[in-house]
Amino acid sequence: MMRSDAEPKARGALEYGTDLEAPGMLWAALVRSPVAHGRIVHMDLAGARKMPGVVAVVGPDDLRTLLPKAALEVERPVFPLQEIRYRGEPVAAVAAETLAQARRAAAAVAVEVESLRVDARIEDIFPEWPSAAAADDPHVVGHVHARHGDVDGKFRTAELVHSETYRTSGVHQVALEPHACLGEIRDGTFCIRTSTQTPFGLREDVASVLGIPEAKLLVEGSWVGGGFGGKGSAFIEPYALLLAVASGRPVKLALTYAEEFELGRTTLPAVIRLDTAVARGRIVARRVRLLLDTGASLPGRDFAVGYSIGFLLGPYRTEAYDIEGYALRTNKPPFGPHRAPFAPQSVFALESHIDGLARRLGADPIEFRKIHAWRENDRTAYDQPVGPFGLEAGLEAAARTAAVWRTGIPAGHGIGVACGFWSTGVGAGGEARLFLQPDGLVILEGEREIGNGSVVRGLSVVAQRVLGLPANAIRIQYGDTATAPFDSGVYGSRTLAALGQAVEKAARALEKTLATRVGAPQVRLETKNGQVLVVSGRRRQKLVDLLTPAERAAGGLEAHGKHYGAEKKVDASRVLEGTVYPYNDFAASVHLVEVAVDRETGHIGIVRYAAFQDVGTAVDRPAVEAQVEGGVVMGLGTALSEEMMWTPDGRLLNPGLLDYRLPRIRDAPPIHVDLIEGFAGAGPFGAKGIGEPPIIPVPAAVANAVADATGTRVFELPLTPERVARALKLL
Amino acid sequence: MTDAALALHINGQSRRFASVPDAERLLDTLRWRAGLKGTKEGCRTGDCGACTVLVGGEPTLSCLLLSREVGDEPVTTIEGVAAVPIGQAVIKAFAEAGAVQCGYCTPGFVVALAAQLGRSKSPPDVESLVDGLEGNLCRCTGYRAIERAVALARKAVQ
Amino acid sequence: MSSLVAHRKAINRRPVGVRVSFQLVQPATPEEAVRLLAGASAGQMSVLGGGTDLLIDIDQARASPRQVLSLRKMPWRYLRWEGSSLVVGSTLPLRTLELDRRVQQQLPGLWEAIRDVGSPALRARATLGGNVGRCSPASDLLPMLIALDARVRILGPSGVREHPVDLVLQESRKTNLGPAELIESLIFPSAAPSTYMWQRVQPVNDISQVGVATAYLPDAPHWRIALGGLQPRARRLSEAEAVLRSARPTHLEQELAAQEAARRAEFVSDKRATESYRRRLVAVMVRRALQTTIDRMPRPAAARKPSR
Repeated sequence: MMRSDAEPKARGALEYGTDLEAPGMLWAALVRSPVAHGRIVHMDLAGARKMPGVVAVVGPDDLRTLLPKAALEVERPVFPLQEIRYRGEPVAAVAAETLAQARRAAAAVAVEVESLRVDARIEDIFPEWPSAAAADDPHVVGHVHARHGDVDGKFRTAELVHSETYRTSGVHQVALEPHACLGEIRDGTFCIRTSTQTPFGLREDVASVLGIPEAKLLVEGSWVGGGFGGKGSAFIEPYALLLAVASGRPVKLALTYAEEFELGRTTLPAVIRLDTAVARGRIVARRVRLLLDTGASLPGRDFAVGYSIGFLLGPYRTEAYDIEGYALRTNKPPFGPHRAPFAPQSVFALESHIDGLARRLGADPIEFRKIHAWRENDRTAYDQPVGPFGLEAGLEAAARTAAVWRTGIPAGHGIGVACGFWSTGVGAGGEARLFLQPDGLVILEGEREIGNGSVVRGLSVVAQRVLGLPANAIRIQYGDTATAPFDSGVYGSRTLAALGQAVEKAARALEKTLATRVGAPQVRLETKNGQVLVVSGRRRQKLVDLLTPAERAAGGLEAHGKHYGAEKKVDASRVLEGTVYPYNDFAASVHLVEVAVDRETGHIGIVRYAAFQDVGTAVDRPAVEAQVEGGVVMGLGTALSEEMMWTPDGRLLNPGLLDYRLPRIRDAPPIHVDLIEGFAGAGPFGAKGIGEPPIIPVPAAVANAVADATGTRVFELPLTPERVARALKLL
Repeated sequence: MTDAALALHINGQSRRFASVPDAERLLDTLRWRAGLKGTKEGCRTGDCGACTVLVGGEPTLSCLLLSREVGDEPVTTIEGVAAVPIGQAVIKAFAEAGAVQCGYCTPGFVVALAAQLGRSKSPPDVESLVDGLEGNLCRCTGYRAIERAVALARKAVQ
Repeated sequence: MSSLVAHRKAINRRPVGVRVSFQLVQPATPEEAVRLLAGASAGQMSVLGGGTDLLIDIDQARASPRQVLSLRKMPWRYLRWEGSSLVVGSTLPLRTLELDRRVQQQLPGLWEAIRDVGSPALRARATLGGNVGRCSPASDLLPMLIALDARVRILGPSGVREHPVDLVLQESRKTNLGPAELIESLIFPSAAPSTYMWQRVQPVNDISQVGVATAYLPDAPHWRIALGGLQPRARRLSEAEAVLRSARPTHLEQELAAQEAARRAEFVSDKRATESYRRRLVAVMVRRALQTTIDRMPRPAAARKPSR
């Protein structure tokens, strides 16, 4: 079934954030810091105010004048009052009649800055694993430590200890559409139209940054040109609204690609040390040491570490473990989510490590994983029962494909496997409102489809499956935060898996109401000549005849559904410091890749790829397969070419697509997608989320294939030709 | 320096715009003066292909072309491509192949592919059609569905 | 004062993405273009070919001309064969050369190098003249132009002069063209078995870490080897060429030439590759490019495919 948004998008007929426009609109430009760490000594905005076309210029001094309750001590303040924390941080903003005028005025703002020492790299902060006193180090903004079992004992008596250190690089979401929004003040209400994954989350966040009541802020989503985690909480919206307050006119702000890279909330570098103790050919204990760069973040940033660190134990039974991680503040923009935040990186380390260990033990890498793989009702590291989990089934399927690939494999080629595990369907819940009208069903939604199909297809398919309506009789209607029901947003592989449950409940409520009206135990719906018919047994009645006049006047029969998730628990006694998080649904990925390595240059070619993906139930198979293909290719970027490069003084060397290299059409290998069904998630009809899991094992699978081809392991992402050449000792 | 008027031939129509700065790019003229926002603004450095339009029938990056450099060559945007049978076939192929996700790159792909399919009576093979899309970035689909769309579109116009 | 206080500095550079204003002049004839350039004050007028470099330079504040002189109306969008030599007007889009069958057959290395510039839509605007004028150390075309001994026809106030491209190129954004001179055309003296190879992180639309151009010309010295990706610009490696004494050098000779090339090339380390990796690549790629060029020489046996 074709997506309803596909054809209008292909024609260029839909309005994205960059396309937003309003009568009398001004254009905004940001004044950005020239240093990565410093104190503002003086800023002269008077010159910019006098420039042609300029209507408003706002800087730190204007913030509290215009918005007396604006928050100052937040991770992303509108402007830093004193301390600049990363290069390119906005310090003032301009609104003018044209974009060129705004940019010229922004460039004319003279900012005098006192430079302070720049902490650009975590290795410079902690060259060695920090001592116990490190928790007091001012760079530490998060510290998580969990322990279980007799770790020291098991390491002491181990037959073999496998110890390695891995490094990962910063990667950017690079949604093709840059961030763009339009802010205006209408009758005392702050209105923002923006390209966002989370209209309600954004409302809460922007209201708190600006110090205004949520009731005074209206968020309306535009179509979203890709999100991947980058279009969540408040980012550029406060600037547009502040300038709208100052100018009294609508203000449009769109970032340039250079700004996308220099201000972006991205995955940042990490150092991961793994030690694994083995007895009788089995893993018996692991130590994990994680240093995660969280950029210009504030204390309390243990979420990134607390959430990530569990993935460094993997979906494997581990009797004893000691895992510890630090979130470190550096002079880069604050860390942000990027499709399965930090999971491809931690899994690169873990699955490379496991693979190397298996080879060292002379074990088959797939069999070795199978021995340790979680099965349903195993316990996680934090003693949570594992739900239905398709890891073992995925490994078995992968083993069969690997055997076929292995026959006749040319010299210089290698096959790698990697597993991934992700908790899907997370988030703060959501609500659904459905209107059954004489000619079809309307689902009222706050968030726009961001591309993955979870709204435009996922939610419709759920309603379709409950009610029996054909897809063309279901329409998504997008509202703003005042008219649409609350939902926490499109992230965390949760739209179908979590919000879908609210839609399912609402659809079932509709069905029940109609069944009662026709006096049947159950009904289903169909359409004929554009009319919805209610079918009970052999009886068909026009819906329109079953509606009350009031319902007809109100736009149809309305039903609501809510899903706020089930509370999951972890065993807190295992946590010595910080917070760890329970998992929701357990989604497994097993990926297989064949590579060809040029042993003279280190260049890696991807020959073919297979993804065995535990999806619970594929409620919309084409959309699920599309997510897998997209995730794999995005993961290949992380594996091979994507890397944000900073200088020691905190300057990003590659703020553009020439040197931040995304996969192109010729880089996409043949991808075999094998959906593993039957390990039901909590989502509608047993669905698990699919947005994030397919990207997770990709870098590890590639690294393992390179090791298979060459006998050499690469310990740092991405696996650029030069890194591979160095590992191969070619230079 | 006062900005002079500019006349362009866009999607089969003569359009005249008052006071266009010499430094203005075709992308901006199309989007903000002609109101043709189907052409998407991406990187503005010629690396993403989202702003691809046809100039003289040739796929061209409208972010790297001064509007005044177009001269009397005809400009065709996605809106123009969508109005002709080959363009419609390509759009349909993209929709049917599941090659549209966020859709921000799609108009650029459609324009680049339609131009290749329209160039000669018998369309080039799929491989060279795909080569013609190597300047267009897509972050959502992993390109496989786009390759399927290329094959579908090629079949449809044959 | 605290030791942390290094210095004070003010924002004085335009942020990336500024759309500056300039005046566009579009002369109707080459003579008018030269006259306009001659009348402009130093550094105030930039020449616009395809615009794929200049407009980005302007956006990113690396160039800020008051006036931009457009070559759009110059009668230089041509391609013609004069016997076995190819004459290409300086403003002909690369895409036209790429789609030309005869170019692909007779100058395969040139065709490969063109094919490796940006994307098809970029090549619809980019030109040979622009590549020579820009003189980027990272250009994929310049090593091939040097290896093919291309000649540059230059038009100026005192008429026309013609020089080997190697003598015209100087360093990034600098050639020996006078302020009022324009590149009219490029002349490739003869068809030649030739090869262009590169190493990049990403195959398409990336900057080559190293580019290797090899050609076998009818005139002595027959073998030409030129490298790109080094500072201050692409250059010929005559020391490596000298190792090659026949049309079909032995594997040993190829290897020695490759080693000599790696030894002689002055590389630097930058964000795209380190100096030592580039040196390593040259040793490998010169050998491969020579072999491919040999395979492309006319002979009864079937030609092998390039081993990229």
